[in-house]
Amino acid sequence: MKVGIAGVGSMGSTHAASWVLTDAELAGFVAESPREADQLGQLYDVSVYPDFASMLLDVDVVDICTPTHLHYEMTLQAAAAGKDIICEKPLARSTAHAREMLAACQQAGVKLFVAHVVRYFNEYALAKESVTRGEIGKPGVIRLSRGSFRPKKPGNNWFLDTAKSGGVLMDMMIHDYDYARWIAGEVESVFAKTVSVGHPNAPIDYGLAILKHRSGALSHIAGAWAYPPTTFRTRIEISGDAGLIEFDSDASAPILNLIMSPDSDSADVGLPSSPVAESPYTTQIKEFYAALRGGKKPRVLAADGLAAVQIAEAAVQSAATGKAVTLEALAEVVS
Amino acid sequence: MKIGILSFAHHHGESYIANLRAIPGIEICVADDDSVRRAHLAKQYDVPFYPSYEALIESKPDGMIVCSENTRHLPLVEMAAASKINVLCEKPLATTVADAKAIVEMCDRAGVLLMTAFPMRFSPPLIEVKARLDSGELGQVFCFNATNQGELPKKYRAWFVDPSLAGGGAMMDHTVHLVDVMRWYLGSEVTEVYAQSNRIFHADEVEVETGALEIITFDNGVFASIDASWCRPPYWPSWGGLTFEMVTERGAVIVDGFKQNITVYSYANQRPVWQYWGTNIDQAMICEFVAAIRDGREPSVTGVDGLRAVEVTLAAYESSQTGQPVQV
Repeated sequence: MKVGIAGVGSMGSTHAASWVLTDAELAGFVAESPREADQLGQLYDVSVYPDFASMLLDVDVVDICTPTHLHYEMTLQAAAAGKDIICEKPLARSTAHAREMLAACQQAGVKLFVAHVVRYFNEYALAKESVTRGEIGKPGVIRLSRGSFRPKKPGNNWFLDTAKSGGVLMDMMIHDYDYARWIAGEVESVFAKTVSVGHPNAPIDYGLAILKHRSGALSHIAGAWAYPPTTFRTRIEISGDAGLIEFDSDASAPILNLIMSPDSDSADVGLPSSPVAESPYTTQIKEFYAALRGGKKPRVLAADGLAAVQIAEAAVQSAATGKAVTLEALAEVVS
Repeated sequence: MKIGILSFAHHHGESYIANLRAIPGIEICVADDDSVRRAHLAKQYDVPFYPSYEALIESKPDGMIVCSENTRHLPLVEMAAASKINVLCEKPLATTVADAKAIVEMCDRAGVLLMTAFPMRFSPPLIEVKARLDSGELGQVFCFNATNQGELPKKYRAWFVDPSLAGGGAMMDHTVHLVDVMRWYLGSEVTEVYAQSNRIFHADEVEVETGALEIITFDNGVFASIDASWCRPPYWPSWGGLTFEMVTERGAVIVDGFKQNITVYSYANQRPVWQYWGTNIDQAMICEFVAAIRDGREPSVTGVDGLRAVEVTLAAYESSQTGQPVQV
């Protein structure tokens, strides 16, 4: 089976890396201009087609990874050429187009698949399995969040052109609409808001949506193009009548990076700063003050300070020797 | 100064005893029309109960805290106002806009202070974020994604799930706190409310809604979602919580009002329990009520704040019926 990929952005290259791990033959790429596809063509040593029609002549399957607004035309063309199709999400920019695409593929007798990759993420799949197993009972309220920075695509940033991408509410949040529907069934109504509607020139965008499912369940979907670059966080919360599933990409991150960045700037000394009405420094001083005035003993005594030094010293020793260090009983040190 | 607590229908009344005792120079007086509760609490907290609300009011306290069932705030506030006694009223101020307005107006006419029990205003993490917002450091606010989720409160008091006494379910219980926080942050009023509710959690136990999602819009264009659901399982590490993500032109600040916990895994509990070490915000709220009386000034959270939150809540109920946003 020969596969041709249309589009060489992040999805095109990602799909290519997956295709070469299959037995299918990655035949080549097509992009708006052949030059854009050259790098990937060279990387995989495959063809770069001058246009979509040329690629259709050479492949059995087309994988459409182009901007959303182009999915429709390309799918119709591929179907007419009798090619099976994989199409990135969102399938189309409009329902009407999507409906036509399905009809065309059915008529042509070709297969059409849409790449809702979230269903393939382990955490999402596992949560779905848990719901299916009945572990949390009937889902009542589902909360799904997906957040990152605003797409920065150099040059023609179609993501920010709502006519082409549908903006955050479509491009970003469609993953979670799909997932919510997978969990709680058909959607009865939707209410949504996005920052860009009221503030078209805002440097960020953020969408919120409430879905009402036919099952009676409600879904809250949030999508952010608002965080500092490199951030990408997702959350799942599925509350059922017999339990709750939670997933937080930050909380479950197995690696926490605390690596110095050469141009990071900070205060000379870091201090803990969890806000409380009275600073812990003040509480301490008040307690010492009360003890000085003949009140009760403070919670930390000199012997404690000594013990701490003893431990620190032992730690230094341990590091030097690579061995565990047995501390002398504190009572003996003090006496 | 003498402060009365009228009714312990709301369990917060019990913790207010300790809050009042922590303030030097406060004499506490209490009354409750439920004789069983009265007998139980008199023993548990070692407080002498007045035989009736009337008797307590005749003893002329400087202020009183109303902790009756939601629908029974009005008659108690009425008695207080008639006797020129300052009032701190549990949230929600009332379960109808008419009652909430009446409460505000009668206190106004009587010239007594009226404060609504919105303790989140006294949360140091929330105060810190408000200060950063006011400093301009965060830029313009665009929206909030907020939750005030909890467990079914039935275990504290049965009336919380009785619509004739609570005025509703999760939406009545958990909309007002976040509405107040956002009004405080933005200095703007809610103009539109969309809400959906359901009863999937505890469907066989209660008749009120237990799941609720809302999106509200402010007159400055900021919008916000509120999850008011009673969705927390009974074995959740705490009663629930209050969180919000505030999205601005510079990014987002994510706040958890009840994150300052240690996690305790005790064999006795058979589940993790979060023990809160953050500031006691009820204490700070009660101190503000006492200070406002002492200084003869308006408290930092007013009856009007309570009224505005009730208006939004009732609009949410209307929207959940019509399925469309409702103008406030």
